[in-house]
Amino acid sequence: MFKHILLPTDGSNLSQVAIQKGVQLAKSIKAKITGISVMPEQKYYLYQTDIIVQVREETVKQHKLQAHRNLSAIEKAAQETGVPCETVCEISDHPYETIIRAAEKRGCDLIMMASHGQRGVKGLLLGS
Amino acid sequence: MFKHILLPTDGSELSAAAIKQGVRFAESIGAKVTGLCVMPLQHPFLYETEIPMDALEHAAKRYKELADTYLAAIEKEAGEAGVACNVVYEKNDSPYQAIIRVAEQKGCDLIMMASHGRRGVGALLLGSETQRVLTHSKIPVLVYR
Repeated sequence: MFKHILLPTDGSNLSQVAIQKGVQLAKSIKAKITGISVMPEQKYYLYQTDIIVQVREETVKQHKLQAHRNLSAIEKAAQETGVPCETVCEISDHPYETIIRAAEKRGCDLIMMASHGQRGVKGLLLGS
Repeated sequence: MFKHILLPTDGSELSAAAIKQGVRFAESIGAKVTGLCVMPLQHPFLYETEIPMDALEHAAKRYKELADTYLAAIEKEAGEAGVACNVVYEKNDSPYQAIIRVAEQKGCDLIMMASHGRRGVGALLLGSETQRVLTHSKIPVLVYR
């Protein structure tokens, strides 16, 4: 019934678990998966212009590395189980919008994500 | 991967759609389903003592009848798809608590429910009971939209 599952990841432990489950589900129902990692935008602060450029470049680099690490975990899990897999890295300060947009754009029919990510308060509330 | 799906219903249109998809999903993965309908408890109001007890009984009976109709719809859907199906009727003022408890008691490994039910504000917010189930359940929840 579901053919294409979107697996958003922020690299948190709980999202790792969700990825494993997502890949397992995809395998059992013969669906393909798309992994997505959404990284925050780098804003220029108009004051302190001197340090900004340097810091910005460094953080962009770090974020890209982190996204790459997060996504390669999905690719690895998919490869091991023989599930067709694509990955996307997006930049946005509102991950939820980007996740929904990516799901629609790529024709995903299920979004499978952990109840909490990096910002979560475990077991208390649903992640934002 | 999922073997036993809980399908809560409040008889709303959206929950009927979620049931249809839930049964379809169960069929495609060879899972069984349990339909659940949770109805409010009857509370006599202590300050209106002349409310006849049979009015409460009547209301309780009416809820049970409605629940039976909603659950029969699940049984019918499952029967047509050849999916093994049980149904449960619960009385509770906090549907989400009953949903989670029944899911745990029956050993369900997935709860599949509509994003909104009766109290929902279409497409704006997540329905309140669905939100609570999502918040409190340790069992995976699939929200149907």
